[in-house]
Amino acid sequence: TTPVHHQDVLTLNDHVWPKWQSIIMHSDGTHSLHFWVNRVLGHLMALERGGMGQQDQHDSQRLEMLKARAVTLRAKRDQIKQQTDVVKILKDKISKDLPLEDDAAAAGGFIEQQKSMLTAWRMQLKDLQRAHHLIGGYELVECKEGKSVCVSFHTAFEGVYLETYNMELDLTRTVQISRHNIPPSFPLESFAKQNLQKDFKAFLQTLSQNLNALAARRRQVCLLKELVGSVEVMESNQLCNILVLMCTAQSETPKAVLCTLEYGDLSQCLPTRVSIECEGTTHHNLTEPG
Amino acid sequence: MEQKYEEEIQMLQQEIEMLEAEQEETLRYIFMEHGDRLQRELKSVYKERGGAQKHTLSKLITETEINGITLNECFVKTLHKSERKLVQQLRLAGHCSVLLFQVEFAVTEIQEDDALLRRVTELNIVVDGVEFKDFSAFVSRVEDTKDLTLLFRTLRTFSERCEERRQTFQHFQEKYPDVVSLPEGCRSELMIIRSPQLPGISMTIFWKIDVSMEGVVKPSLELLLKMPDQAREFDTKKVMENGSDYFQSLLRVLGVEASIEGLIRTVCL
Repeated sequence: TTPVHHQDVLTLNDHVWPKWQSIIMHSDGTHSLHFWVNRVLGHLMALERGGMGQQDQHDSQRLEMLKARAVTLRAKRDQIKQQTDVVKILKDKISKDLPLEDDAAAAGGFIEQQKSMLTAWRMQLKDLQRAHHLIGGYELVECKEGKSVCVSFHTAFEGVYLETYNMELDLTRTVQISRHNIPPSFPLESFAKQNLQKDFKAFLQTLSQNLNALAARRRQVCLLKELVGSVEVMESNQLCNILVLMCTAQSETPKAVLCTLEYGDLSQCLPTRVSIECEGTTHHNLTEPG
Repeated sequence: MEQKYEEEIQMLQQEIEMLEAEQEETLRYIFMEHGDRLQRELKSVYKERGGAQKHTLSKLITETEINGITLNECFVKTLHKSERKLVQQLRLAGHCSVLLFQVEFAVTEIQEDDALLRRVTELNIVVDGVEFKDFSAFVSRVEDTKDLTLLFRTLRTFSERCEERRQTFQHFQEKYPDVVSLPEGCRSELMIIRSPQLPGISMTIFWKIDVSMEGVVKPSLELLLKMPDQAREFDTKKVMENGSDYFQSLLRVLGVEASIEGLIRTVCL
């Protein structure tokens, strides 16, 4: 399955699950989390709405289906209308500072009201969670009844949200990384050695910093390829910390200029050293102090 | 005949979408304007059927603690919602340790065939706190580039450095109250060391925390020595001239706390 980006949370069995970018499977075939892929839901919805126009279906069958569909939708519409009315009454009462419980309210109506209030609050919690993730916070999901925790790192560069990296941590004896989708060239082991046992918060912070820098460098290479026609990317690597570009210098005779960018600090997305070679002239080296 | 049903189905679907949006808006409004009342009313309801909410809430609290950013306010307005596109405006307010912030931004999400494209399209930032006096260049840059996540990553690191500074300054003031003074408070960048037995002589430590445009947080310490003119005659070892360089060497060797302690000890005769 192609990975899809995490978009929202889904309530299932009274737990709030995020929709993951990629599906993680155990070696024994079980899943540690249930996943709803956005696309699958979208497809189901599309099938529900328009997919009934299958050419080989009998006309009368189709008519029956349409009729049934209309009835279902009508019922759904009525139900939602009723809920919306209850919510509007709730809003009205709260705005006018009226008591929510009164003798005139039928018992059934009051329960509807309670449900609405809970929904309002649930929505606020959902909003808060979304806000946290939008500002780049880590997402934590407890799995296997507390035996492991899954962390998601959302990366972004200049307002554009990029890859999400996921990591499962086993908590049974010591904290250990059991599964992840971080590229192998990333120095995950060394970060884990530094901080994972002593300072979990610092570990997450270092990872977030470096993963964001990686995503940013990668994005910059993409943008370079897309937007700047006169520059050719000759060489790059998985960590995007070495970049070799061929640029064309505009002069009386256009010259080819080879630029090598080295990114010495993996937590940053700017190069620490640039060297420029131009045919016929000497090297120029630029190094960023520190 | 078929067409009649198809039309009705489409109309119903639109009506449902509209009602759902209306419901969402009203619910958000209720929480926005009357959050307090809602919370009060909910307290009793919560006890009866709080199960799922408790779980979500505790998860949110854990995430907040680990993230280091606390959101006190979160207002969301959906400007556009369709199957493939979502546009929302968010207004968040909160704090990161003692640093207060307020951000307003717009997010657009477009569902393409196999990927979700999400981007920040507007960003306004307000930060409040005495520590932020050198932060404005960074803030302007982030508003221009719409780099919301860089703002918060940097804010977290910045607040940690500020907290280190505050704790160190406060520690020394409590330990040596006669000699150490913080004229602008423990959250400022200034600490003055003065002995009552040596009037006119003071050592001022400037502990700056610089934030570059790219969000690199760099603390730096400097020492400023003051000595009355009459005393300068006795300064054969040229302490006044070289003092700040000596301090930098000391920092490299001993670190911040030990260096400051050393300085203070020199005046505690």
